[in-house]
Amino acid sequence: MRKTIVIILAVLFMIPVFWTVTSSFKSMSEIYKYPPTIFPKKISFEGYINIFKQSNFMRYLYNTLFVAIISTIITVFLCVSLGYGLAKGTFRHKDFFTEIVVITLFVTAQIIMVPLFVIIKQLGLMDSLWGLIIPAVFTPTGAFTAIQYMKDLPDEFLESAKVDGANEWQIFVKIVIPLSKPLIASLAIFSFTWRWNDFVLPLIVINSGKNFTIQLALATLQGQYGIPLNEILAFSVMSIIPTLIIFLLFQNLFMKGLSAGGLKY
Amino acid sequence: MYLKELKIVKNRFIFTIPAFVFHFLFYILPIILMIVLSFFSWDLLSPMKYVGLRNFSQLMKDKWFWNSIIVSFKYTFLAVPIIFVVSLILGVLLQEEDRFSKIMRVFFYWPYMIPMVAAGTMWKWLFSRNFGLVNYIITSMGFKPVDWLDNPTLALFTIVLVQVWVLAGFMMMLFIVGLQAIPEEFYEAASIDGATKFQKFWYITLPLLKNTNISVITLSIANCFRNFTIAYIMTTGGPGYATTVAPLYVYQKAFTDFRLGYASAGSLIVLLISFVIAYTVRKVQEREIEGGKI
Repeated sequence: MRKTIVIILAVLFMIPVFWTVTSSFKSMSEIYKYPPTIFPKKISFEGYINIFKQSNFMRYLYNTLFVAIISTIITVFLCVSLGYGLAKGTFRHKDFFTEIVVITLFVTAQIIMVPLFVIIKQLGLMDSLWGLIIPAVFTPTGAFTAIQYMKDLPDEFLESAKVDGANEWQIFVKIVIPLSKPLIASLAIFSFTWRWNDFVLPLIVINSGKNFTIQLALATLQGQYGIPLNEILAFSVMSIIPTLIIFLLFQNLFMKGLSAGGLKY
Repeated sequence: MYLKELKIVKNRFIFTIPAFVFHFLFYILPIILMIVLSFFSWDLLSPMKYVGLRNFSQLMKDKWFWNSIIVSFKYTFLAVPIIFVVSLILGVLLQEEDRFSKIMRVFFYWPYMIPMVAAGTMWKWLFSRNFGLVNYIITSMGFKPVDWLDNPTLALFTIVLVQVWVLAGFMMMLFIVGLQAIPEEFYEAASIDGATKFQKFWYITLPLLKNTNISVITLSIANCFRNFTIAYIMTTGGPGYATTVAPLYVYQKAFTDFRLGYASAGSLIVLLISFVIAYTVRKVQEREIEGGKI
């Protein structure tokens, strides 16, 4: 009984993905056929071939990967370092600084897009890939996770290193970073996915086609007349594949979410 | 070099500086700038002009701005209860740590990982009037095809459905964590007293989930109230202004009409409203907890 309900619900949830994938392998005449075929009668790669031939797909892929990889590296460094400083620091007003980070958990790009646009423009980052990287490298969710994780790191490790004569830099590099591997792994995976899926920032920063990311290209493609549907569907399928691979590989990390309780070193 | 002797190194403040530079530039400064800009008139080309409260007084009279706020409220308050119920049901059904549950969770969580642009594209194809799968099923059962995205009332329901599909699996995980934290003894005691399954759920599970409920509701509200990607992709706000949610209206004012000051004032109001909703939900729930319902 329970299993039957769950399976029915799962099938319902997966219909859009299933239908998009099968349709993307249909020829244009078969897509508009009535009644529709569930599986393509003849598998056609027309849509896929055309997005490589006619749109700059490889360029978009390169742009998106460049943005996602570079910003992930910076995000991991910023969050781990901030988390360590705020969790193990001895400076004054530490709680105030932590609170400032927590408050911004509420602030998203959709809300601040106008001033963000102005700042990005003033920094001369409009219509450049760095304009997608630099404003996005700090993420409140990642920072918050790092703070929680670092709080659970036992002080004894740091103390004993100090007794052995290590200075602050050595403690960070030789003790804290190795102990933070699980944190670093999940920050990296989440950050990559966020940047890959991002749409709002590219929408306000990028103007010229050569700098489009995959998501922006997919959105723009739909707005144009005369783009065949099988190309749009093939493009959608391509745009979800990388996150699908990452998701399946690191399923457990995702399901636990970035909740601090789920992360133990 | 005496870098390691510096006070900010010794008290580890230096580790927070790189992150706080970015935090200030792209989180704190935008909020300050948004407040400042909302008192100016600016089209990016001519110099900024101070206009006092004129943006706000114009917003008050802007019929379509208020319409977009109402659309956002409808969108949010339609989506959040459905998300809550669906994800609670999924959570209850999949709370065990057996193989079956672990595998099935993936199918419900995955929509949350799909880029929202792709999600909107897929659903648009499914709901397409003449060639969509949904209308095919409906017509083959002898009904007339439905204008899922072209009918002003229905279009909002359709994008709400997609929002539910995106968020339900994520919220399901919060419920699973919450459900697993309830001690077995509570249920055992109730069984001895002869409680039915439904009674156990109503009198034990739901009240003990209070904290999870707060998180699910607050997070859902925040996510729905600010989302404009689904509407942007599926309907671009139409037909007419039927699905123009507030963030989408603000986006259009800023980047189609180039009224940056006006748009800033609008976003400020949207930000304040979402703060007020989140705060109210939290207070109401906290009062219920203190009120001895647990």
